[in-house]
Amino acid sequence: MAAEFASDQWAAEFGEQINKSSVYKSAAKGWKWTVGLVIEAEPDKGFPQARALLMDLYEGEARSVKMGTVADAQQCAFIITAPYSRWKEVVKKQLDATKGMLQGKLKLKGDLPTIVRYTKATQEVAECSTRVAVEWPDER
Amino acid sequence: MFDESSGRMAGRAIAITTVSYVDDEPSAFASMLGGLIEANVEGRPEKKKDFDALQARVGIWVTDIDEGVTLDFQRGSLTVHNGLEPERDLTIRAEADTVMNLSNLKIGAFGMPVYYNQVGRAVALKLMQGKLRIDGLLGNLAMLNTVTRIFSVR
Repeated sequence: MAAEFASDQWAAEFGEQINKSSVYKSAAKGWKWTVGLVIEAEPDKGFPQARALLMDLYEGEARSVKMGTVADAQQCAFIITAPYSRWKEVVKKQLDATKGMLQGKLKLKGDLPTIVRYTKATQEVAECSTRVAVEWPDER
Repeated sequence: MFDESSGRMAGRAIAITTVSYVDDEPSAFASMLGGLIEANVEGRPEKKKDFDALQARVGIWVTDIDEGVTLDFQRGSLTVHNGLEPERDLTIRAEADTVMNLSNLKIGAFGMPVYYNQVGRAVALKLMQGKLRIDGLLGNLAMLNTVTRIFSVR
Protein backbone atom coordinates (compact mmCIF):
# COMPACT_ATOMS: atom_id res chain seq x y z
CA MET A 1 0.00 0.00 0.00
CA ALA A 2 1.31 3.44 -0.91
CA ALA A 3 2.31 5.82 1.86
CA GLU A 4 1.12 9.40 1.83
CA PHE A 5 3.98 11.73 0.86
CA ALA A 6 5.69 13.32 3.88
CA SER A 7 3.78 11.11 6.32
CA ASP A 8 5.38 9.20 9.19
CA GLN A 9 4.85 5.97 7.25
CA TRP A 10 6.57 7.41 4.16
CA ALA A 11 9.53 8.58 6.26
CA ALA A 12 9.87 5.16 7.88
CA GLU A 13 9.76 3.37 4.51
CA PHE A 14 12.27 5.83 3.08
CA GLY A 15 14.63 5.00 5.96
CA GLU A 16 14.15 1.28 5.32
CA GLN A 17 15.09 1.74 1.67
CA ILE A 18 18.26 3.60 2.65
CA ASN A 19 19.25 0.80 5.00
CA LYS A 20 18.61 -1.79 2.29
CA SER A 21 20.96 -0.03 -0.14
CA SER A 22 24.44 -1.51 -0.37
CA VAL A 23 25.36 1.35 -2.72
CA TYR A 24 24.50 3.89 -0.03
CA LYS A 25 26.26 1.92 2.68
CA SER A 26 29.47 1.98 0.65
CA ALA A 27 29.18 5.55 -0.67
CA ALA A 28 28.33 7.05 2.73
CA LYS A 29 31.23 5.54 4.62
CA GLY A 30 32.52 8.35 6.82
CA TRP A 31 29.29 10.39 6.68
CA LYS A 32 28.20 11.38 10.20
CA TRP A 33 25.91 14.36 9.85
CA THR A 34 22.20 14.99 10.10
CA VAL A 35 20.21 16.13 7.09
CA GLY A 36 16.93 18.02 7.02
CA LEU A 37 14.85 18.09 3.86
CA VAL A 38 12.45 21.00 4.03
CA ILE A 39 9.32 20.58 1.93
CA GLU A 40 7.81 24.00 1.40
CA ALA A 41 4.05 24.34 1.34
CA GLU A 42 2.08 24.56 -1.88
CA PRO A 43 -1.55 24.83 -0.77
CA ASP A 44 -2.84 24.77 -4.35
CA LYS A 45 -1.25 21.35 -4.75
CA GLY A 46 -2.74 19.87 -1.61
CA PHE A 47 0.33 20.45 0.54
CA PRO A 48 -0.82 23.27 2.81
CA GLN A 49 1.89 23.34 5.45
CA ALA A 50 5.69 23.07 5.24
CA ARG A 51 7.15 19.94 6.77
CA ALA A 52 10.60 18.49 7.08
CA LEU A 53 12.14 15.09 6.79
CA LEU A 54 14.79 14.64 9.46
CA MET A 55 17.50 12.14 8.67
CA ASP A 56 20.11 10.95 11.13
CA LEU A 57 22.61 9.30 8.81
CA TYR A 58 25.76 7.78 10.22
CA GLU A 59 28.48 5.75 8.54
CA GLY A 60 26.26 4.40 5.79
CA GLU A 61 23.29 3.72 8.03
CA ALA A 62 20.03 5.59 8.50
CA ARG A 63 19.77 5.62 12.30
CA SER A 64 16.53 7.57 12.18
CA VAL A 65 14.36 9.01 9.43
CA LYS A 66 11.25 10.82 10.62
CA MET A 67 9.02 13.78 9.87
CA GLY A 68 9.36 17.00 11.84
CA THR A 69 8.99 20.73 11.63
CA VAL A 70 11.01 23.25 9.65
CA ALA A 71 12.46 24.43 12.97
CA ASP A 72 13.66 20.87 13.63
CA ALA A 73 15.33 20.82 10.22
CA GLN A 74 17.20 24.03 10.98
CA GLN A 75 19.10 22.11 13.65
CA CYS A 76 20.52 19.70 11.07
CA ALA A 77 24.07 19.98 9.73
CA PHE A 78 22.76 20.02 6.15
CA ILE A 79 19.46 21.48 5.06
CA ILE A 80 18.03 21.08 1.58
CA THR A 81 14.97 23.16 0.83
CA ALA A 82 12.53 23.07 -2.07
CA PRO A 83 8.81 23.43 -2.68
CA TYR A 84 6.59 20.34 -2.62
CA SER A 85 6.42 20.07 -6.43
CA ARG A 86 10.24 20.07 -6.77
CA TRP A 87 10.55 17.21 -4.29
CA LYS A 88 7.87 15.41 -6.23
CA GLU A 89 10.03 15.77 -9.36
CA VAL A 90 13.00 14.28 -7.49
CA VAL A 91 10.98 11.34 -6.17
CA LYS A 92 9.50 10.73 -9.63
CA LYS A 93 13.00 10.84 -11.19
CA GLN A 94 12.07 13.88 -13.26
CA LEU A 95 14.78 15.96 -11.56
CA ASP A 96 18.25 14.68 -10.78
CA ALA A 97 19.28 15.80 -7.29
CA THR A 98 22.77 16.90 -8.36
CA LYS A 99 21.47 18.94 -11.27
CA GLY A 100 18.74 20.34 -9.05
CA MET A 101 21.33 21.62 -6.59
CA LEU A 102 23.56 23.06 -9.32
CA GLN A 103 20.54 24.85 -10.79
CA GLY A 104 19.37 26.15 -7.44
CA LYS A 105 16.11 24.23 -7.68
CA LEU A 106 17.10 22.47 -4.48
CA LYS A 107 18.69 24.94 -2.08
CA LEU A 108 21.47 23.57 0.07
CA LYS A 109 22.74 24.95 3.31
CA GLY A 110 25.77 23.23 4.76
CA ASP A 111 29.45 22.62 4.26
CA LEU A 112 29.97 22.41 0.49
CA PRO A 113 33.18 20.35 0.33
CA THR A 114 31.52 17.70 2.49
CA ILE A 115 28.39 17.42 0.36
CA VAL A 116 30.49 17.35 -2.84
CA ARG A 117 32.63 14.58 -1.36
CA TYR A 118 29.48 12.54 -0.85
CA THR A 119 27.80 13.23 -4.21
CA LYS A 120 27.28 9.53 -4.87
CA ALA A 121 25.70 9.00 -1.46
CA THR A 122 23.41 11.98 -2.04
CA GLN A 123 22.33 10.57 -5.39
CA GLU A 124 21.65 7.18 -3.84
CA VAL A 125 19.48 8.72 -1.09
CA ALA A 126 17.46 10.36 -3.86
CA GLU A 127 17.29 7.00 -5.63
CA CYS A 128 16.04 5.33 -2.43
CA SER A 129 13.18 7.82 -2.29
CA THR A 130 12.01 6.60 -5.69
CA ARG A 131 11.63 3.05 -4.34
CA VAL A 132 8.90 4.00 -1.85
CA ALA A 133 5.33 3.70 -3.15
CA VAL A 134 3.87 7.18 -2.67
CA GLU A 135 0.40 8.64 -2.61
CA TRP A 136 0.58 12.30 -3.72
CA PRO A 137 -1.86 14.80 -2.23
CA ASP A 138 -2.45 16.45 -5.61
CA GLU A 139 -3.17 13.13 -7.33
CA ARG A 140 -5.88 11.86 -5.03
CA MET B 1 21.85 25.89 -4.65
CA PHE B 2 23.65 27.93 -2.07
CA ASP B 3 21.98 29.79 0.72
CA GLU B 4 23.25 33.37 0.79
CA SER B 5 22.31 33.74 4.43
CA SER B 6 24.64 30.95 5.39
CA GLY B 7 27.66 33.11 4.72
CA ARG B 8 28.30 31.02 1.61
CA MET B 9 29.64 28.16 3.68
CA ALA B 10 27.79 27.05 6.76
CA GLY B 11 29.73 24.93 9.16
CA ARG B 12 33.07 26.66 8.69
CA ALA B 13 34.26 30.03 9.80
CA ILE B 14 35.77 32.15 7.06
CA ALA B 15 38.15 34.83 8.10
CA ILE B 16 39.13 36.16 4.70
CA THR B 17 36.93 36.55 1.66
CA THR B 18 38.98 35.65 -1.38
CA VAL B 19 36.06 35.12 -3.73
CA SER B 20 33.88 37.81 -5.24
CA TYR B 21 31.01 37.72 -7.69
CA VAL B 22 30.63 40.06 -10.64
CA ASP B 23 26.91 39.58 -11.10
CA ASP B 24 24.38 41.13 -8.74
CA GLU B 25 22.66 37.77 -8.62
CA PRO B 26 25.22 34.99 -8.95
CA SER B 27 23.70 31.85 -10.38
CA ALA B 28 23.32 28.85 -8.10
CA PHE B 29 26.17 27.19 -9.96
CA ALA B 30 28.40 30.26 -9.62
CA SER B 31 27.66 30.46 -5.88
CA MET B 32 28.35 26.79 -5.49
CA LEU B 33 31.70 26.80 -7.28
CA GLY B 34 32.79 30.02 -5.61
CA GLY B 35 31.76 28.69 -2.21
CA LEU B 36 33.46 25.38 -2.81
CA ILE B 37 36.75 26.96 -3.86
CA GLU B 38 36.60 29.41 -0.96
CA ALA B 39 36.07 26.58 1.50
CA ASN B 40 38.87 24.52 -0.01
CA VAL B 41 41.33 27.39 -0.01
CA GLU B 42 40.58 28.63 3.49
CA GLY B 43 40.63 25.15 4.99
CA ARG B 44 43.70 23.70 3.27
CA PRO B 45 47.12 25.45 3.24
CA GLU B 46 48.36 23.43 0.25
CA LYS B 47 45.38 24.61 -1.80
CA LYS B 48 45.88 28.18 -0.62
CA LYS B 49 49.43 28.02 -1.94
CA ASP B 50 48.16 26.97 -5.36
CA PHE B 51 45.42 29.59 -5.22
CA ASP B 52 47.90 32.35 -4.39
CA ALA B 53 50.07 31.38 -7.35
CA LEU B 54 47.40 30.83 -9.98
CA GLN B 55 46.65 33.38 -12.67
CA ALA B 56 44.14 31.93 -15.07
CA ARG B 57 40.74 32.48 -16.58
CA VAL B 58 38.82 29.22 -16.55
CA GLY B 59 35.37 28.52 -17.96
CA ILE B 60 33.23 25.64 -16.80
CA TRP B 61 30.12 24.78 -18.80
CA VAL B 62 27.67 22.15 -17.57
CA THR B 63 26.25 20.70 -20.74
CA ASP B 64 23.12 19.06 -19.33
CA ILE B 65 21.85 22.11 -17.48
CA ASP B 66 23.11 24.72 -19.96
CA GLU B 67 24.79 26.76 -17.27
CA GLY B 68 28.32 27.83 -16.79
CA VAL B 69 30.72 30.14 -15.05
CA THR B 70 34.00 31.87 -15.67
CA LEU B 71 36.51 31.70 -12.85
CA ASP B 72 39.05 34.51 -12.99
CA PHE B 73 41.95 33.56 -10.73
CA GLN B 74 44.28 36.46 -10.01
CA ARG B 75 47.01 35.25 -7.65
CA GLY B 76 45.14 35.10 -4.35
CA SER B 77 41.72 36.27 -5.42
CA LEU B 78 38.93 34.81 -7.50
CA THR B 79 36.23 36.62 -9.40
CA VAL B 80 33.28 34.52 -10.49
CA HIS B 81 31.16 35.45 -13.50
CA ASN B 82 27.85 33.91 -14.49
CA GLY B 83 28.28 32.31 -17.92
CA LEU B 84 31.29 32.09 -20.18
CA GLU B 85 33.30 35.27 -20.58
CA PRO B 86 35.83 35.85 -23.38
CA GLU B 87 39.61 35.35 -23.21
CA ARG B 88 39.59 32.12 -21.25
CA ASP B 89 42.76 30.08 -20.90
CA LEU B 90 40.87 26.85 -20.29
CA THR B 91 37.28 25.82 -20.82
CA ILE B 92 35.88 22.62 -19.36
CA ARG B 93 32.64 21.29 -20.79
CA ALA B 94 30.97 18.32 -19.15
CA GLU B 95 27.76 16.98 -17.68
CA ALA B 96 26.88 17.76 -14.06
CA ASP B 97 27.96 14.35 -12.79
CA THR B 98 31.37 14.70 -14.42
CA VAL B 99 31.85 18.19 -13.01
CA MET B 100 31.13 16.75 -9.56
CA ASN B 101 33.57 13.92 -10.27
CA LEU B 102 36.25 16.45 -11.22
CA SER B 103 35.92 17.95 -7.77
CA ASN B 104 36.27 14.47 -6.30
CA LEU B 105 39.54 13.64 -8.05
CA LYS B 106 42.12 12.47 -5.57
CA ILE B 107 45.41 14.35 -5.65
CA GLY B 108 48.38 12.03 -5.65
CA ALA B 109 52.15 12.22 -5.77
CA PHE B 110 53.70 15.48 -6.99
CA GLY B 111 50.28 17.12 -6.84
CA MET B 112 49.01 15.18 -9.83
CA PRO B 113 45.34 14.20 -10.07
CA VAL B 114 44.86 10.46 -9.74
CA TYR B 115 43.21 8.90 -12.77
CA TYR B 116 43.60 5.22 -11.87
CA ASN B 117 40.99 4.94 -9.10
CA GLN B 118 37.22 4.65 -9.67
CA VAL B 119 36.55 8.40 -9.85
CA GLY B 120 39.65 9.05 -11.96
CA ARG B 121 38.77 6.29 -14.40
CA ALA B 122 35.24 7.68 -14.77
CA VAL B 123 36.68 11.11 -15.60
CA ALA B 124 39.21 9.65 -18.04
CA LEU B 125 36.47 7.63 -19.75
CA LYS B 126 34.33 10.76 -20.23
CA LEU B 127 37.37 12.47 -21.74
CA MET B 128 37.89 9.60 -24.17
CA GLN B 129 34.18 9.52 -25.05
CA GLY B 130 34.22 13.24 -25.77
CA LYS B 131 31.74 13.88 -22.97
CA LEU B 132 34.39 15.86 -21.13
CA ARG B 133 35.97 18.49 -23.34
CA ILE B 134 38.81 20.70 -22.27
CA ASP B 135 39.59 23.56 -24.65
CA GLY B 136 42.96 25.27 -24.28
CA LEU B 137 44.68 22.24 -22.80
CA LEU B 138 47.64 22.47 -25.16
CA GLY B 139 50.34 24.33 -23.26
CA ASN B 140 48.18 24.65 -20.17
CA LEU B 141 48.41 21.20 -18.63
CA ALA B 142 50.14 22.47 -15.49
CA MET B 143 47.42 25.11 -15.15
CA LEU B 144 44.73 22.45 -15.45
CA ASN B 145 46.41 20.40 -12.71
CA THR B 146 46.56 23.45 -10.45
CA VAL B 147 42.89 24.24 -11.07
CA THR B 148 42.02 20.59 -10.38
CA ARG B 149 43.92 20.67 -7.08
CA ILE B 150 42.10 23.85 -5.99
CA PHE B 151 38.75 22.48 -7.13
CA SER B 152 39.14 19.04 -5.54
CA VAL B 153 37.63 18.40 -2.13
CA ARG B 154 39.91 15.37 -1.67
